Amino acid sequence: MASPAAVNCSGAARRILLLPTTTTQPATRSFPGRLSAVTSRPITTLPSTPRTKSKSTPKTQPPTTPPPQPLQTRRTYHSTTHPPPPSPFTQAETTLLTSALTSHIPTHGFTLPSLTLAARDLSLLDISPSFLGPSPVARLIHFHLYTTRTTLPSLASQHSDLLSGLSVSGKIELLTWLRLKQNEPIIQHWQQALAVMAQPSQVPVAVRELAMLADEIYYLAGDKSVDPSWYTKRAALSGIYAAAELFMTTDKSEGFQETRRFLRRRLQEAEELGGAVRSVGEWVGFTASAGVNVLRSKGVRI
Amino acid sequence: MASPRRLLRTARQLTSIKTPLLTSQFPRHVSTTPSPPSPSPPSPPLPPKNLKPLTESQREMLSSFLRVNQAGELAATLIYTAQTPPILAREPHLRPLMKHMYDQEADHLRVFNSLIAKHRVRPTALYPLWSVLATGLGWSTAVMGKEAAMACTEAVETEIGGHYNAQIRELLKMVSEWEAEGYDVGEEFTELISTLRRIRDEELEHLDHAVEHDAQKAEPHWLLTGVIRAGCRGAIWVSERV
Ligand SMILES: [Fe+2]
Ligand SMILES: [Fe+2]
Repeated sequence: MASPAAVNCSGAARRILLLPTTTTQPATRSFPGRLSAVTSRPITTLPSTPRTKSKSTPKTQPPTTPPPQPLQTRRTYHSTTHPPPPSPFTQAETTLLTSALTSHIPTHGFTLPSLTLAARDLSLLDISPSFLGPSPVARLIHFHLYTTRTTLPSLASQHSDLLSGLSVSGKIELLTWLRLKQNEPIIQHWQQALAVMAQPSQVPVAVRELAMLADEIYYLAGDKSVDPSWYTKRAALSGIYAAAELFMTTDKSEGFQETRRFLRRRLQEAEELGGAVRSVGEWVGFTASAGVNVLRSKGVRI
Repeated sequence: MASPRRLLRTARQLTSIKTPLLTSQFPRHVSTTPSPPSPSPPSPPLPPKNLKPLTESQREMLSSFLRVNQAGELAATLIYTAQTPPILAREPHLRPLMKHMYDQEADHLRVFNSLIAKHRVRPTALYPLWSVLATGLGWSTAVMGKEAAMACTEAVETEIGGHYNAQIRELLKMVSEWEAEGYDVGEEFTELISTLRRIRDEELEHLDHAVEHDAQKAEPHWLLTGVIRAGCRGAIWVSERV
């Protein structure tokens, strides 16, 4: 029966996702401070600049109609030959968000000022972050989640020599660790970001990204199982990843070694639990046929 | 007695569907009757194909196809596994037939398991439930006798054959739209369509075997097949979604 682990882990995932809400306080506290620090600069007017004075921008949609935010990250059929589906982020969004992520987030965090600074860098003076939809900051965080997940395959091929010698569970551990390390440049802002993504309107995106990440890691690790363990494995890894990610935001150790130890312990526990869950699942699934076979072996002619 | 004619009509309907699919609509790209491999010299590397990205709804459709097929073939292997001993206890001469059908089902299941892994489709969530139901269905019909077991096979394969045909039709529609828009149709889909056709034909062969082996003599045949076919439709409906 798959449910104990699934329930457990989604419970854990939920706890992890909701836990940081307690940190909303510092997040909101620090936010106006940063905002005023930035708004005292000449770009003060940026967000409120009238949109009529339009300079040439790569943006096609008028800022008043934010792009729909489709729930695009569903795990569906993955073609091995056809071009991949388009990114959920428009070209304009990608340009702006990439600039914000690389140049300003490490200093200013996942905040509106980071976005306005990025817009200024790109001379998109008339762009208000509102073109990113109703919650630009959440869009920025989603972009971080999306890019880190989609760059994981190239990260994995950079480490292919390390990965190739490992068992599947070793690969899972290393890939998860590589993903966690992608948070390093922004780690001091990540708790705040988790708080934003724990808001009810963002939970669907956050959970879906988490599920997609777990699926990506299992895919890259070469796991081919298509039985009920498909679910328990991904649920367990999602919970472990979310816990490790939160742990890392408080980790002061050299090279985040404490986080890595934490990750290894959790994976080890899950493997032991997974074995138990799998045997229960198999027991339920095949009791009918096993029962019939046992009776047959006892000479009952059924 | 539910009329044998109705049955045969069903069988014929199913088989007649495949003929136009095989021949008229898709002369070149997706023909399943592979023209004898022309002794081609080692061909130069093909130019990159012009393949259209799959839409969200196409990917959804393909996911649900592979998922329901995996569930169906899992159920089929379990039905035959459960049926075989009770049937052979009374009709030992059916051993080669039962083994032949089981081997084909096991191959179908392998095909869909590997497609699910390759295309990163979420497998069916109700694996344990299908296991229990299929084993129960196979075993209970087999203890009712050979005729009931064959009626079970007949009912299941009728639904499954029609279901594969519906999938093939959808896929043909998809690739013909690509062709109409000037895109290429790559091997990923020509192979998928021909795999589905091969499996569909084998399911219809199972149906024929069942009818040959007195499926319609089961009493009351109409109730048995009716209930099982309704059950299959329900299971397919659920598997496409869960
Ligand atoms: Fe089959
Ligand atoms: Fe079959």
